Amino acid sequence: MEKFILPEIKDHHQIDVYEQHGGYAALKKAVQMKPDEVIDEVKKSGLRGRGGACFPTGLKWSFMPKGNDKPKYLAVNGDESEPGTFKDRQIFEFNPHLLIEGIIIGCYAMGINAAYIYIRGEYGKWISMVDKALADAYAKGYIGINILGTGFSTNIYTHQGAGAYICGEESALMNSVEGERGYPRIKPPFPAQRGLWGAPTTINNVETMSNIPLIINKGAEWYSKIGVAKHPGPILVGISGHVNNPGVYEIPTGVPLLTLINDPQYGGGVPGGKSIKAVIPGGSSTMILRGENLEGVNMDADSLKAAGSSVGTAGIMVMDEDTDLVRVLARIAHFYHHESCGQCTPCREGTGWLEKMLHRFEHYEARKEDVDMLVNVANQIEGNTVCALGDAAAWPVQSFVKRFREEFEKRVKEKEEINAA
Amino acid sequence: MPNVKITLDGAQYEVDNKKTILEAARDNKIHIPHFCYHDKLSASGNCRICLVEVEKMPKLAISCMTQVAEGMIINTKNERVINAREAVMEFILINHPLDCPICDEAGECKLQDYAYKYSKGFSRFVDTKNHKEKRVEIGPRVMFDAERCISCSRCIRFCDEIAGVHQLQFVNRGDRVTIQTFPGESLDNPYSMNVVDICPVGALTNKDFRFKSRVWEMSFTDSVCHGCARGCNIEIGVRNNEILRLNPRRNDDVNSAWMCDHGRLNTWKNVNAENRIKSSKIRKEGQLVEVGWDEAIAKAASELKSFGKNEIAVLGSAFATNEDNYVFAKFAREVLGTRNIDFCPHVEGTDDAVLIRADKTPNASGAELVGIVPQENGMDFQQIISAIKAGKIKALYCLEDDIASVPGIEDALSNLEFFAVHATNHSKTTQYAHVVFAASTYAEKNGTVTNFQKRVQRVRPAVTTFEQDRALDNFEMSRWDKFAAHNDKWGKGPRRDARPSWKIITSIAGVMGTKYKFNNADDVFNEICQKIDGFKGLSYLKVGVKGAVVKQNHVAV
Ligand SMILES: Cc1cc2nc3c(=O)[nH]c(=O)nc-3n(C[C@H](O)[C@H](O)[C@H](O)COP(=O)(O)O)c2cc1C
Ligand code: SF4
Ligand code: SF4
Repeated sequence: MEKFILPEIKDHHQIDVYEQHGGYAALKKAVQMKPDEVIDEVKKSGLRGRGGACFPTGLKWSFMPKGNDKPKYLAVNGDESEPGTFKDRQIFEFNPHLLIEGIIIGCYAMGINAAYIYIRGEYGKWISMVDKALADAYAKGYIGINILGTGFSTNIYTHQGAGAYICGEESALMNSVEGERGYPRIKPPFPAQRGLWGAPTTINNVETMSNIPLIINKGAEWYSKIGVAKHPGPILVGISGHVNNPGVYEIPTGVPLLTLINDPQYGGGVPGGKSIKAVIPGGSSTMILRGENLEGVNMDADSLKAAGSSVGTAGIMVMDEDTDLVRVLARIAHFYHHESCGQCTPCREGTGWLEKMLHRFEHYEARKEDVDMLVNVANQIEGNTVCALGDAAAWPVQSFVKRFREEFEKRVKEKEEINAA
Repeated sequence: MPNVKITLDGAQYEVDNKKTILEAARDNKIHIPHFCYHDKLSASGNCRICLVEVEKMPKLAISCMTQVAEGMIINTKNERVINAREAVMEFILINHPLDCPICDEAGECKLQDYAYKYSKGFSRFVDTKNHKEKRVEIGPRVMFDAERCISCSRCIRFCDEIAGVHQLQFVNRGDRVTIQTFPGESLDNPYSMNVVDICPVGALTNKDFRFKSRVWEMSFTDSVCHGCARGCNIEIGVRNNEILRLNPRRNDDVNSAWMCDHGRLNTWKNVNAENRIKSSKIRKEGQLVEVGWDEAIAKAASELKSFGKNEIAVLGSAFATNEDNYVFAKFAREVLGTRNIDFCPHVEGTDDAVLIRADKTPNASGAELVGIVPQENGMDFQQIISAIKAGKIKALYCLEDDIASVPGIEDALSNLEFFAVHATNHSKTTQYAHVVFAASTYAEKNGTVTNFQKRVQRVRPAVTTFEQDRALDNFEMSRWDKFAAHNDKWGKGPRRDARPSWKIITSIAGVMGTKYKFNNADDVFNEICQKIDGFKGLSYLKVGVKGAVVKQNHVAV
């Protein structure tokens, strides 16, 4: 398939090369349209957010109040901190102008005069690449005052994160941009009502924004035919773990998971020809699938939902037959414990408790009742927190124990053994 | 204004649609547990114990931030809600040190109370608890124990929103979160100690009170702070007849739920102090010596009689009650016949934006209202002082006020031929006195003071003097006061042979031939309410616990 987000063109990150290959044509086209027409086009394309929740992008944009009388903001989420996820980085490195063009079009459509690209602090190199691309786009008059003589003006700034996963959560991100502690906000009010500095704000993922120029260039009709109808478009998948060719691949949605793992143009199979024990399909927070249940599961929202998981950020983690899943879960639990912002009780206390219990499982020091207690503690977190990090911490525990209970039961010691030790 | 109908736990209520579920429930006497919510602070929604079920909402909703709406069906007690609540309690307690036996908060701790009411009563947690810093001097007056903190953020919001200074912040993440000041700074704002009251656990403690007493061994008496003209409503905490602490008491018209650190710490230490005047004294051969009440009263009466009306001046006191000042003014006019009546003002600095007033006395406006004002052609305070210096005023009778501490006054006092004072503690002023009457402090008597808003507020005795009895005189009683055995030390703390000023003056008037029928403070207040315009219609009952404002177009007597 032709690559749109990450085309195989040398030096495509340079503005001249980008322009030679049709870059910024979408912007020129968009500014000839009415802002609402742009939003309609995005709606019709069927584009769903690539930040994890698959929320329809056009619908999100339509929540923004109309008119230019009050400030409005766009925050572009490049915090990319979910374990197993490393796709936005490719855009920063290989196609930053696609992202920038998408942002300008989004700003035009929603009547926004300032956008922030929030990039995780560890991406120092990529932040400078985006800054360079922004400077070039300013120099060419694509950003700034009176863009392309239309009278429309907008600025784009990069904002560097400081190492907190929670700052990828949209409302914590806004606090972080404002210089506040990265605590998620209580919703409602939703960002489109009260976002950055109290003003209406839209938050979209970096990859989501990078799809916008395609939609405008080639039309919603064309876009909606890529991949599966209910979750269309090109999507970047990051394949990691026990595969021969780990990396980021651009695919149309709906490619079978097993193809992605085994096909030589993608993951290229499991090293040593081992069998697949488990796959986490969409970043560490999505529910784990058993290797033997992957037949017929495709990389799109509905198919993964039917399989009992979700697309998330399309970070596919493959684990071979020798993988110690208890250790994997302990490591995931460590991550969420480390990253919980600590604001709300169930997540603050529950993530630590889960990690402590899993540490005992890892070291064969768990009790029989701990298997169910793990799930119960996870259940006590899920749904009761300020933000979805609590859920993200609960889902892996729930799904690992549900789908691989035997692995946990193997680690249990009888009371007598514990006492004797 | 009730304008929507909701169903709460099966019953219908009409409520105001601006209210949250928690508020609407509270207004209808349904308690929804909460830690982080405080009605004087912005909502933070993070403790999660107030989760309730709202029909048609997929998740449980935080009642502290969910507004009611027409037709809402809310469950605060069903199994799902109770499970979530017990889960939050379990989570909070897993890392809590559970050190109630050595914690000052025990007995008035939200977490302890909720552990009984809303938790399962056991823990499934078998792992090692997290440890955090203990005994952190987070401010000069407040101690912090990070292990007890439940990260509710009330203290942070108090500083930001009420004290108006950004002094506290969370640091770290997850279950390592704790509160801190910026490096090198400290929680030292003039209202810092309110965080101790609103902290739902024993994480923030009052350094002055730490380890002094279990709260159930104390009695708490409603009163009014005497630190400035605001008159913040307070509770006086007493054990073994000694005041151990003050706490603000809620009064939205006066002090909201707060008081300043100065008032909390410095307005009652004199009650317990070593330099208390424990009984009345007269000067004999240059020394103040203890005498009985009768002797002191007789001495004052005969001395006062020996001066001409124009040689006498009296100073009421902005620290004394309306009752004291009223009887004093009446006595000055009717018995002494002097027109030189005033009191010493104590104004320092300026009002702040929160509570603190420049007038450092609790009852300046009351003193004036009840008649402590120069009579026609009489002298005011400054004129009285000048007249003493000039030898024109020879006798001065002064109520509870250390007037000698005011610059420029001290020299005048040595000029006096006769100087009688009512005092609670030895001071510069008592050094010049010929007769010192042992006056009850505001914590030992009934009465009223009138704050800068002209709000009349009640003081009540919390500490007994010789003439009072905790049980017979209807004092607030601690468990110990009620149940301690006869030979227990409880209730046997220091008592002083002090009397309220109005009573002392009534006795002197009697000896001088004028009988006033004042047997208790109510009698005095009732006469004030009859005689003084602004007070008409008031009574102790009407003043109640929240006070009552005097009528404004009052003309001074
Ligand atoms: C704990 C947490 C971390 C998140 N991190 C990211 C992130 O790094 N990048 C991202 O795009 N979205 C992240 N999200 C999702 C965002 O909150 C938000 O839904 C997303 O940026 C919206 O973009 P989209 O509509 O384009 O998908 C995170 C959510 C949670 C709860
Ligand atoms: S769920 Fe976790 S990360 Fe989200 S607000 Fe609560 S404590 Fe913070
Ligand atoms: S110290 Fe007390 S008031 Fe402050 S956050 Fe902790 S528990 Fe809440």
